[in-house]
Amino acid sequence: MSRTITFSQALNEAMAEEMRRDPHVFVMGEDVRVSPFGQTAGLVNEFGEERVVNTPIAENAITGAAMGAAMNGLRPVLELMFMDFTMLAMDQLCNNLGQWRYITGGQYPIPLTIRTACGAGMRMGYGHSQCLESQLIQAPGLIIVEPSTPYDAKGLLKAAIRSDDPVIVVESKKLIFGAVEGEVPDEEYTLPFGEAVIRKPGKDATVVAVGFMCYEALGAAQELAQEGIDIEVIDLRSIVPMDKETIFGSVEKTGRLITVEEGRIRGGLGAEISALAVSEYFGLLKAPVQRVAAPMVPIGGSPVLEDLYLPNKDTIVRAVRRTL
Amino acid sequence: MSVDNAILKELYRRMLLVRFMEETHARLLQEGKIQLMGHFGTGQEAVAIGVTGPLRNEDILFGTHRGVGEFIGKGMSPRDIWLEYMGKKDSPCHGKGGLHLCDRKSNIPGLVATLGSDFSIAVGTALASKMQKTPQVTLYFVGEGTCNQADAHPSMCMAALWKLPVVFAVCTNQFCELSYMCDHYPTNDVAPRAAAYDIPFNIVDGQDIETTYEATRMAVEHARNGNGPYLVEYKTFRMATHFSGDPGTYVNRDELEEWRKKDPIDLCRKKILERGILSEAEDGGLREQVQAEVDSAVSAALVAPDPSVEDLFTEVYSGEGVIA
Repeated sequence: MSRTITFSQALNEAMAEEMRRDPHVFVMGEDVRVSPFGQTAGLVNEFGEERVVNTPIAENAITGAAMGAAMNGLRPVLELMFMDFTMLAMDQLCNNLGQWRYITGGQYPIPLTIRTACGAGMRMGYGHSQCLESQLIQAPGLIIVEPSTPYDAKGLLKAAIRSDDPVIVVESKKLIFGAVEGEVPDEEYTLPFGEAVIRKPGKDATVVAVGFMCYEALGAAQELAQEGIDIEVIDLRSIVPMDKETIFGSVEKTGRLITVEEGRIRGGLGAEISALAVSEYFGLLKAPVQRVAAPMVPIGGSPVLEDLYLPNKDTIVRAVRRTL
Repeated sequence: MSVDNAILKELYRRMLLVRFMEETHARLLQEGKIQLMGHFGTGQEAVAIGVTGPLRNEDILFGTHRGVGEFIGKGMSPRDIWLEYMGKKDSPCHGKGGLHLCDRKSNIPGLVATLGSDFSIAVGTALASKMQKTPQVTLYFVGEGTCNQADAHPSMCMAALWKLPVVFAVCTNQFCELSYMCDHYPTNDVAPRAAAYDIPFNIVDGQDIETTYEATRMAVEHARNGNGPYLVEYKTFRMATHFSGDPGTYVNRDELEEWRKKDPIDLCRKKILERGILSEAEDGGLREQVQAEVDSAVSAALVAPDPSVEDLFTEVYSGEGVIA
C-alpha cells in the first residue's frame, strides 16, 4: 500500500521514524521546535524538548556542537535553515567534518546528518536563495544528496541518519513551499546513495538534472516531444557519490549531454560532469556538452531579475537544441 | 593548597616527561630525524598537567597545538605520540594525524587545525554526555589567543544555556603566536568573559602545580555534579617561542629571565624535596628513568613502518575506498 504525502511531510516522517527507531537520533537547529518551513514541525510534541533542540543563531558553532555530539555516541540531525547559511559553517563543513574520520585514522567517525534548504523563486533576495552545492563538493569525506520527490526525500534522509558518514541533505525550497506531492510506501524503506534515476527515457540527448531542476527538465522534455525530439532526463538524487554509470550509459545511447543545475555555472556541478564526460568518453560525444546553470551574478531583489537569473524549461530547451 | 604526596609525585613525573619529550623533539629536529616542527610548551607544564590531573579516563579532552603536555596528562603514551609525530602507520591515527594528536583509548577525540573550531565541538561532546546521562566531563584546553575566535562566544553561551558538563581551561601564556597578549587584548584577563554567560570562573597561578590541580579539580567536580560549565584561567609564561623555527626576536629577555626563576618543574621539585617525597638521589634516578622512557619510545618509533600507498585511500568513508 502507498500514500500520497508532500515533500515536507516526507522529511518529517523520515526524522520521526528514525527517532522512534533509535534513541540516539535527535534533531537540532535554529527554531526546529516551531519550524519555519515545517520539516521538523510537531516533532517536539512526540519527542520532547530534549530531543528537539533549539539552538542559538550561530551556524559554525552549532555545526561544531552537532559534530561533537556525533563523536560522542549520538546521531544528530542538524538543520542549517538556508543553504546560504552553510557558508557561515564552512570551517566545520570543509575543514573538519568530512576529514575527521581520516585524520583520526578511523577512531572518530562522525554520523551526522545536516539538512539545508536551497533555491530561489521565493522573492527572498540574494542571501536566502542560493544553491551552493558546488561549494561543498570539493570537501572530502562528505556525502551530498538532493532529492526531488517525497519518496526520495524520505528514503535518502532515513539512509543519511543511519549512515556512519556525514551526509548533507539539500532540500529545494520550491519543493517544500510548493507542497509537491508524491507517493510513499506504507512500509519501511531507505534508499542507497549514489544511484540516479531515469525520470524519462529518451534517445536523442541526455539531460542530467538535480533537485527542483528535474521538473524544469521534464517540462523541456514535453515541449521538445512536440517537435519529435526525445530526450532522456536523469535525476541525479545523489551528488556525492555521483552515479557515473547511469550518466555514461545514457550518453552512450544519445551521444549528447546537457547538465542542468540551479547553482551558478563557474566551477559548478555541470563543470564536473562535463569534465567527466570529456575525459572519460569524449569519443561518444556527437556535440559539445551544454551546461545550463545560473549566471555569475547575485540574485536580485526584483522578481523580474530573480526570474531572469533562474535556469528554466526554456533555457533547457535552447541548450538541447544546441546539441542537435 | 596542597595535594596528597603520591599525587604530587605523579604530577611531577608527568611534568618531567612533558619537558623531556619536548627537549627531545627539539634535538630530533636538529639531528634531522623528525620533520614535524615543534610548538613547545616549555614553562607551561604545571598548567597542562594540572588541568588533566583530576580527569578520569572516561572524561574527554580537547588539547592545543602547544606541546604534548595535556596529551601526556590525559594518558597518551610517549610511544603513540612519537609514532604520530613521525607519521608512522602504527600510530593511533595510522600516520594521518601528525601534529593533530588523537587517541580514543584516552578519550582524546582529536585536535583541530583551525584554532578554536573545537570550542563548539567540545560543547557537543558535553551535550552528548548530558543527553546520555553519563558522569563524563569534557575539558576544553585552550590558549588565550584562540579565545578571540568568534565561536568562543556561542560555545560558552550554549554550554551555559544547556548547563553542560564542560570545563573551559584557558592557558594564558602571555603570547598569541608571535605577538604579546596585549597586542590582542584590551584586558589583562580572559576569564571575566565567562560572566557574560553566567559561567563561574577562577583566575589562578599557572606555575604552581598544586594550585592548577586543585583549581581544576574543583571546576571538574562542579561540572560533574550537574552544575554546568566552569572556566578557569591559568596565568603562565611561554618560555619557548611560537614554533621551533621562530627565533623569538619579539620576546623581552629580562621578562623571560624573571619567569625562568618560576619554572614550574623547579618549584615542584623544591616542594618534593622539602616534603621528603623524594631525596636528591631519588630525583636524579627518576629523571634518568623518565628520559630513558622517552628515548626508548623514540627508538621504537624511528624504525616503525611508514604508511603505504594503500593507506592514502583508507578511512575516508565508513565503506571501502574514496568517492572521486
